[in-house]
Amino acid sequence: MKKLLAGLAMTTLLAGSAAWADEVQLFHDKGFWSEQLQTVGEASLQETGVKIVETPYANAEQYKAFIQASIASGETPNLFTWWTGEPFNELVSTGQIAPLGDVWKEMVASGNYGESAKELFVVDGEPYAVPLVLARWVVMYDKPLFEELGISEPKTWEEFIAAAETIKAAGKTPFVATVQDGWRGFIWFQELMLRMHPEAYNGLNDGSVAYNSDEVREVFKTWSDMYAKGWFSDPRSTEEVNDFARGNGAMYLIGEWAFGLLTAAGVSADDIGVFIMPNIDGTDPSAVIVEGAPMVVSTAGIKDENTMKALEYFVSVNGANVWGEASGNYIGNDAAKAPNAVVSKVNGDIAASNAGSYLRWWEAVPPDLQGELVAEMNRFMLDPTMETAEDVMAKMQTLNAAYWADQ
Amino acid sequence: MAVDLNTLDFDEIARKEAARHRGRRWKVAVALLFSLVWVVPFYFLAISIFKSSTEYASNPPLSLPAGLSPIAENAQRAWELGNMGQSMLNSGFYGTLGAALAVFFAAMAAFAITRIDLPWKNGWFMLIFAGTVFPFQMYLIPLFFGYQKLGLLNSHLGMLLFYTAICVPFPTLVLRNFMSGLSREMDEAARMDGAGEFTVFFRVVLPNTVGPMIAVFLLQFTWIWNDMLFSTVLGNRLETRSIMNALLIFQGSYSSIGPNIVLTAALIASVPSLILFFLLRRHFMQGLQVQQA
Amino acid sequence: MDRAAQDTELLNRIGLDQTLRRERVRRRGQLGLGLLFMAPALVLVTSLLLVPVGYNIWLSFTKWKKFKGFGEYAGWANYEKMASNPFFTDALINTAIWVVASIVFPIALGLIMALFLRNMRGAEAFKNVVFIPRILAPTAVGVLWFYVYAPDGLLNRGLSLFTTGDVEIGWLYQDNTVTPAIIATFVWQTAGLVMVLLLLGLAAIPRDPVEAAHIDGANKWQIFRFITLPLLMPTLLMVTILSVLAGFTVFDLLWVMGANYPGQRSLALAVFMYFEAFQKGSWAFGSAVAVVIGLVVLGVTWIQTLLQSRVDRMVR
Repeated sequence: MKKLLAGLAMTTLLAGSAAWADEVQLFHDKGFWSEQLQTVGEASLQETGVKIVETPYANAEQYKAFIQASIASGETPNLFTWWTGEPFNELVSTGQIAPLGDVWKEMVASGNYGESAKELFVVDGEPYAVPLVLARWVVMYDKPLFEELGISEPKTWEEFIAAAETIKAAGKTPFVATVQDGWRGFIWFQELMLRMHPEAYNGLNDGSVAYNSDEVREVFKTWSDMYAKGWFSDPRSTEEVNDFARGNGAMYLIGEWAFGLLTAAGVSADDIGVFIMPNIDGTDPSAVIVEGAPMVVSTAGIKDENTMKALEYFVSVNGANVWGEASGNYIGNDAAKAPNAVVSKVNGDIAASNAGSYLRWWEAVPPDLQGELVAEMNRFMLDPTMETAEDVMAKMQTLNAAYWADQ
Repeated sequence: MAVDLNTLDFDEIARKEAARHRGRRWKVAVALLFSLVWVVPFYFLAISIFKSSTEYASNPPLSLPAGLSPIAENAQRAWELGNMGQSMLNSGFYGTLGAALAVFFAAMAAFAITRIDLPWKNGWFMLIFAGTVFPFQMYLIPLFFGYQKLGLLNSHLGMLLFYTAICVPFPTLVLRNFMSGLSREMDEAARMDGAGEFTVFFRVVLPNTVGPMIAVFLLQFTWIWNDMLFSTVLGNRLETRSIMNALLIFQGSYSSIGPNIVLTAALIASVPSLILFFLLRRHFMQGLQVQQA
Repeated sequence: MDRAAQDTELLNRIGLDQTLRRERVRRRGQLGLGLLFMAPALVLVTSLLLVPVGYNIWLSFTKWKKFKGFGEYAGWANYEKMASNPFFTDALINTAIWVVASIVFPIALGLIMALFLRNMRGAEAFKNVVFIPRILAPTAVGVLWFYVYAPDGLLNRGLSLFTTGDVEIGWLYQDNTVTPAIIATFVWQTAGLVMVLLLLGLAAIPRDPVEAAHIDGANKWQIFRFITLPLLMPTLLMVTILSVLAGFTVFDLLWVMGANYPGQRSLALAVFMYFEAFQKGSWAFGSAVAVVIGLVVLGVTWIQTLLQSRVDRMVR
């Protein structure tokens, strides 16, 4: 009997240690990047001996619920992804996430990263995450069509509008935009807001600017006019990427990561051009909306050697290269190869114009308001009249005011 | 009864007979038409699963497919992308074991309620059946937190426990009704021969209850197989995901997966239920009949 | 010795008290045995179903702090919030529509089909065809019909055949069509089951009263109204309660088909609750909504049991 027990103990120990063989789980909700993350995981195993095991959740709600509940019960995962902005502030305030000041010191010192990349992840002066994705929101366009119609890349708002008019006159639709998956309503809203009233952009999300203020009304007026002129593709389409690929729209306002989706849909990489939408007022400083997906480490994780090794690999040049090549994602590592032509062009544009970064509305808005407000914006897109706009603005402000009154 | 042939009007009878035939044929035609309209939604499924992704993207959605071959590739992509193999295994495991255990436990409880001189019989029954009276939403949040605390979240055991529990009340109702209708002579005979209650249960009552047990097993298996809500909340990790939950991955934000793959996946996910139905149709119907009692 | 004491002594001598005691012991023993048989069922149902319900009710009276765990007592605050939330009112109205629709349409359609196919030869094939949607998972059905209702989907294409221009209605995108459209799908899915149940009910009706009425000269309508329908009542009632529960807890269909509709959270109470709890992390509020759903379902069930006993008495 004793021998049996001993034998069992040995096997369990061996089995246990085999499972411990240097693996780190990365929890995330971006299942569409599972394969790409696996590539990085394998590469990490090769170089550092620690394998990153990507563990996806099918949808954002469940993922949020899982992380929230884990933290509430004191079992925060060592390594996981999150969102920047308000959700990030909430996460940091739980005290369960480790500050990564030291890691960033090295990253900046190595010259691979600029200070600006760190800014997105700073709360109260300390950075608490490293980038999984740093995507700028840009206008990708159909290069061959532009050449055919003799349109050059717009550098001013007037040129931008003129381009749309030329395209429309030629019988094509200038822009692709849909309400697919229920979250895209904010894309044009935020961009137009930034281009028309940059000073009010941030105020939307700290309660100082109302959603039915004059600035917002101007945005909706412009947006509604564009729809009235027939400049947008059918918002009810459930195949936004395919719409662009099939030529249903000449310009596509979206995050850089869509490049990979476009090439997968059959668009040749050479046919995709990109520019940052110009401001309506030429004297306003250049700006670009940035989406940052952070990777965070728990207070337990920072003491774990494997977790830190995995993290450092991910942000290193090699890691960034593997990730960039697999997914087309830029993470801010300037020493790494730009994943594709779009990213390098955007890098160049930003450097040339010294564009300032603005946080995406999706992350900046208080999480409790996010779903309801974007639903209203979707509603506008489906019936883009000023009448609907007034109703939408009123509803959004009611929710907004109620939220801030409760704080 | 003797019929006086002279009083029968054969023409009248023949005319009525012909009318009945026409009526029947007309009925069949209507039924046929109705059935066709009923299955029209499957048309889109039927044409899309045979298109490759590029074919789908470059042609109008309702155009006929070029050939039948792309379905193999669609199936393969759906299988891999949706992790369908693992999910089907999970659902199969939960369904078979969960439903089987639930039905067995229900039989035991029904036996106690109908065959044992139990004080407060109806009370015990109501206690068990109360589990089914509430809408599912009431279980979600507490179970989520409870499982989190107990470490059962995203575990096979946790999913199995839940599926078994929720599948117990209904079979208890059905089997109780059935067992109270079973004659007690055999039990009494066995007891007089000195058999203990367990023997009575296993050797006498259970063998006679097999019919309804299979019927409710099928119903509960189908329920578990079709579940999406509880799998997303309690077992969303890849390893423990159910098949219907896995189907949702194609709805992801940045996915570039076309309807041809999504519908192929939906079809594959439905195949086991369909097979089960056709094999055991009669039991299904009988099971529903028992409900009447 | 007085009479009572004499009787007691007599009874004691024949050992009645022993018998009574043995009887009590036996009953207790049977209770133990009974509990043993019921144990697995009881344990599972209590711990995983009943306790959560109680916990849910408790939770609905607290205030949840995201990330931090269970909060303090909040009284009726959550319920008050419900009353003032615009999405909640819409969800309530829509759910009421669902309840009514899920009683009326599947039963009407199921009844018509059952009567039609009742005595038809070769009806098996048609019964199977009608029943197949019931076998498919709601998720799969939702995906299928999503493409039927798409702007360039089957329905619009079909309608375009009858009109001059192209019909491009966004059925699942417009406020006034989204709920009816999804209800239609629900009916497509459940009518088959209702039909089968009604067929069984119809088959159980004894022939004698019908034939007697025939001979008495009653026409088809009268037979249906005064004989068939009343005798079908128990089945109809059971079908009603099943339909109501299904209509109330419909989630999968709304989740898949309503995914692109801006007001998805107002499509039904069940969806509203999911969004509040899991998207916004308002667990306590979500629990309160769940309690409301539960109360309404219980109410409807209670009404049904009342009606059931009434009808049983009538039929007898």
